[in-house]
Amino acid sequence: MDFPFVKKAISQLFSKPSCDMYPFVPSEAAPNYRGRIAYDPNKCIGCGMCVRVCAGKAITLTRTPVEGGENITLRFDLGSCTFCNTCADFCNDHAITLTTDYHMIATKEDDLIVTGTHFKEKKKPAPKPAAVKPAAPAASKPAETAPAAATAAKTVTSAEAPKAAEEKPAEAPAPVQPRDDGKPVNDPSKCIYCTLCAKKCPQEAIVVDRKAKTWVLNEDDCVGCGTCQAACPKDAIIM
Amino acid sequence: MFKKTIIESTGKSPWLFHMFKKTIIESTGKSPWLFHINAGSCNGCDIEIVSVLTPRYDAERVGFKLVGSPRHADIAVVSGPVTKQSLPRVLRTLEQIPEPRCIVTCGSCPQSGNVFRDSYSVCGPLSKYVHVDVDIAGCTPKPQAIMDGLLLATQILAEKKKTGNMEATLPNPYAPTEAAAEEKKEEKGEK
Repeated sequence: MDFPFVKKAISQLFSKPSCDMYPFVPSEAAPNYRGRIAYDPNKCIGCGMCVRVCAGKAITLTRTPVEGGENITLRFDLGSCTFCNTCADFCNDHAITLTTDYHMIATKEDDLIVTGTHFKEKKKPAPKPAAVKPAAPAASKPAETAPAAATAAKTVTSAEAPKAAEEKPAEAPAPVQPRDDGKPVNDPSKCIYCTLCAKKCPQEAIVVDRKAKTWVLNEDDCVGCGTCQAACPKDAIIM
Repeated sequence: MFKKTIIESTGKSPWLFHMFKKTIIESTGKSPWLFHINAGSCNGCDIEIVSVLTPRYDAERVGFKLVGSPRHADIAVVSGPVTKQSLPRVLRTLEQIPEPRCIVTCGSCPQSGNVFRDSYSVCGPLSKYVHVDVDIAGCTPKPQAIMDGLLLATQILAEKKKTGNMEATLPNPYAPTEAAAEEKKEEKGEK
């Protein structure tokens, strides 16, 4: 006679229980477990991409104007979160991370809310004169005349912009220089005006007209997140 | 409330109740019976609730027991975003649970609607209709997190029996405290 399970049965008698003795023995989640959201307001630039991609509408972004700028508050409601990690994936500055903390128990609403506020300075006088007088910055930087004029032209009006775009390839095929403030610049020689950057922009700061072939950046709204650069299929956006 | 029902049902004077009050509260507090209601859930939370009762996580070792009738239950575990179809049935089932009872929501759906929020067939968070004692967040919560929530619900249930206040709550040991936030800030400062 053969008893195939006797050996196993006897060994099981003397082995440890397979039970996870959780409340008495602390248990840790797996390394890549997606639990409580950790938000670092110092890294955040307030582009609002996370709000846009959130499926459960768990993230709200509020801007309160303060002297010299604005306070940007992000509020994560974990009671409405699916912990899909999409907000963390889309965050260009890695301000959002999902920790392995799974103890998310609430007896009142505030227990499940993660918030953070950061102050964003607003540069008021810098962009406006550049928009009104395109000659002034060009004169101050004679070496970079063409790119300076190009950047200025983008902020002026939609009527002037196409002229600049038309003139540029004939006049100077010099490469477009990146800007100092980390905001995007469009290279008209590469751009095919597909409007992908405008669609992807979380602030809707880019306006592209396909017929008129213009690419206009609203500098007040742009936060320099780099989404447009990543979205551009022709690498026409330089930052 | 509890005291009243005891007196009414037994017809005995209060001293008898007071004599056994401590024993009754302690003994019933150790083995709360669960009733699970699916209010239009995607089945994710239901699977996790069942897994809590399997030998791996074994909630019965702490005293929980899943029962088939709401009339036997102490704690109701609700999962799902409370759909239009299920709402009257959920409320009727919850009413059948004798007081003192504890209502626990499992997962993000009954708290806010989650991804089903603003749907034509979703009747919003459960807290609009009944007093919810404990929320377990997660989509789905880990079995250990469900265990945490149920243990807290058990304590709240004991508190309700002791005080007779049906909306009694306890301080949440898992809530983010100010001290923890300060510690984090200090850590950042050190870095």
